[in-house]
Amino acid sequence: MKKISLIFDKKNCIGCHACEVACKQEHGLGVGPRLVYVIEKSSDFIPVYCHHCAKAPCKDACPVDAISRNEQGIVLIDGDLCIGCRECVEACPFGAMQYEENKEIAIKCDLCVDRLAEDKLPACMSVCPTGCIHFGEKKSIAAVFERTPRPKE
Amino acid sequence: MEDIKKIRTVCRSCHGGCGVIAHVKNGKVIKVEGDPDSPISHGSLCTKGLAITQLAYHPDRILYPMKRTGKKWERISWDEALDTIAGKFKEIKAQFGAEAIVIGQGTGRDFESHFSRFGNLLGTPNMITAGHMCYLSRIGATLTTCGRHPAIDYENNPKCIVMWGCNPLWTNPDEYKGADFWQAYKKGAKLIVIDPRKGFLAKRADLWLQVRPGTDAALAMGFHHVIIEEGLYDAEFVAQYIHGWDAFVERVRKDYSLGRVEEITWVKQDLIRKAARLYATTRPAGIHWGVPTEQTINCTDFTRAAVGLMAATGNLDAPGGNVFHQPPGTRSIAEFSSHRSLSNEQRIKQLGGEQYRLASRMTIVTPKCVWDAILTGEPYPVKAGYLVGTNPVISRANATEVYEALSKLDFLVVSDFFLTPTAELADIFLPAGTWLEQNHVADNWKFHGYVLARQKAVEIGECWQDHKIFMELGKRMGQQWWDTVEDALEWLLEPTGLTWEEFKEKGYLHGEPKFYKYREKGFSTPTKKVELYSTILEGWGRDPLPKYTEIPESPISTPDLAEQYPYILNSGLRTPTFFHSANRQVPWLREIRPDPIVEIHPKTAMKHHIRDGDWVWLESPRGRAKERAKLNDGIDPRVIVAEHGWWYPEIKSSDHGWDVSNINMLTDNSHESMDPVMGATNLRVLLCNISRCEEQ
Repeated sequence: MKKISLIFDKKNCIGCHACEVACKQEHGLGVGPRLVYVIEKSSDFIPVYCHHCAKAPCKDACPVDAISRNEQGIVLIDGDLCIGCRECVEACPFGAMQYEENKEIAIKCDLCVDRLAEDKLPACMSVCPTGCIHFGEKKSIAAVFERTPRPKE
Repeated sequence: MEDIKKIRTVCRSCHGGCGVIAHVKNGKVIKVEGDPDSPISHGSLCTKGLAITQLAYHPDRILYPMKRTGKKWERISWDEALDTIAGKFKEIKAQFGAEAIVIGQGTGRDFESHFSRFGNLLGTPNMITAGHMCYLSRIGATLTTCGRHPAIDYENNPKCIVMWGCNPLWTNPDEYKGADFWQAYKKGAKLIVIDPRKGFLAKRADLWLQVRPGTDAALAMGFHHVIIEEGLYDAEFVAQYIHGWDAFVERVRKDYSLGRVEEITWVKQDLIRKAARLYATTRPAGIHWGVPTEQTINCTDFTRAAVGLMAATGNLDAPGGNVFHQPPGTRSIAEFSSHRSLSNEQRIKQLGGEQYRLASRMTIVTPKCVWDAILTGEPYPVKAGYLVGTNPVISRANATEVYEALSKLDFLVVSDFFLTPTAELADIFLPAGTWLEQNHVADNWKFHGYVLARQKAVEIGECWQDHKIFMELGKRMGQQWWDTVEDALEWLLEPTGLTWEEFKEKGYLHGEPKFYKYREKGFSTPTKKVELYSTILEGWGRDPLPKYTEIPESPISTPDLAEQYPYILNSGLRTPTFFHSANRQVPWLREIRPDPIVEIHPKTAMKHHIRDGDWVWLESPRGRAKERAKLNDGIDPRVIVAEHGWWYPEIKSSDHGWDVSNINMLTDNSHESMDPVMGATNLRVLLCNISRCEEQ
């Protein structure tokens, strides 16, 4: 099966944070963990999100094998197995791994695996006004950027 | 366990319009999603709309009517609430006249039709909205200049877009949402951005003009200067369809040399020239402009000069330019409002009506005139108020005066979702329904040619949609209304041949696009032409030609004051999460923006020993407010840009911290500072100072 991933076209992120709220709603999260978020730095916006790395440091760091990769390449965490040691939070180079204080477990982007099963877009992607969020097969997703039509960019 | 019902409806967390699919389970909305079939939003949905469930089911939300007994609130029935209000209003009307009752709404919340009808049938000419400085002011200025509001036409692919003081991808766009702009831009349209701050759009722009706040009218006249001097105008259109072109040309040549415009606006001459050329020589080209241009003394003049640009370049009512979208065929807001029901005898009593003629024509009063009447009893006493979906203590200029005036009313009714600082001053609180709890023919007040079916997904507590409150209260006052909310919608829809049920099924209606309509019947102005020389303003004894007026409180007008208050404060910084004073209690949104932000240049910060994230005091001759500093090297070091709308719902005392971070503690609402015909308050240019708070 082809491996899929999520990617943000950073230069088109306008910092509207719609992806964050759509994600929280989809995953029933309150204040605290932000599976996707946008950092504002002066007039720049930097989206932080899970890259579903081919060699995932979070997975490697987990001492109890609570993190796994499914056949689509989506890196998932099993909350029932997680012991809340935060090794994965430390290991993630993107800052995408989150910690759920209430439950004392780590939590992460699941690429809306349930929505994908229903042929729906990931929640973050579905609401983005500039269409800067893409998901798809790892090898072809880069082509999205090459298709950007504006010559001056 | 019930299945999930999916209800197609329309958001109104800002001015509204975006399509939503509400997921309802066991009588509760559990989730909302963008509607990919929406002609307005195409599936996108912003933070405000997405967070509606946290607002609608918020533990602080008031779900039943209440009356004040001493310092406490007491739950009452709808019957008691409405009977009390009707009784009190009748009493005041008999003793002081209907004009002693002011009704007020805030920003456009899609009940304008019901609001105005209630006021007109009550017989009060005193209706306050945000329209004196937001949107309605633009409708008024375009009405007098070219007969109707010319909105940019993204659907027909403008090749050049002038984004003038506007960021529709972030915040309260009216006709079009950011998604449409983005599509047009991605198709390769040239982009000119006019903004005092370097933001996302400024960085992407072909040309960015970093204008001194409040000087947009001068910049527009600079554009005209280039267009006239270089002969870039559409000679045929100008000759046939512009009234007063020669007088206008003389004004531009005499008073708006590029040297002078540069001096006023801080924008370099060559950049003004390049931008004017790009706009005038790219067809079609559209101007998308925002409220910053309206929230100064130059409100009407800017809009008139901007319409002049559309007209002179032949982009008016041309596809892909700025067009008069065709109405979708429903009955209009004006007809529903029944303006004719307000007798002339009552109309002439309108507060400030003689002075602010354009506001008066738009059937509104600039709030300052109402505060004056409440506080002084002149020209007559105002005794009672009915405020709907508005929080003027936070969102109107000169908050100290607003608070004092509202506190002085004998009887105040507020309809809202929460006990806001304004609602805490009320005698009766009415619980309003959110957009999830409404049936309405939405967007009928806009100029994009669409109406949209907002249909009720749920009912929550005893909340009523405001439309119903107006109707039921009106009926108890002896006014003529319909039996039900839906009956009124049937009447609105009647000319389209659709019933409310059929309309809901259809989702929306769109007026058939038609362009260059003026070729058949001219423009809807007294001369049937675009009146760059306004016969209406002339009739009111005002300058008939657009101009720039220096802001009364500025480094140029008041240099002595500027020594004490050396910075120009623009109090209009917008955020994508909040809409004016709304949403501060919504956890998802407050997490993104926990504190009020003021943006300052790093040099300014260094001078005052301020670090990024420090709490700072902003101070003007009228008062002070506390916000958190965010450094931005993309603004002029002489300019400070602050968020508005802040209060603290988490402060449980009845003041809710209304005067702590409220930027309107600093703003001015003196008559001298306002637009002379519209009464637009100046929220974008005032003098201030900044210092680091001792307590961090």
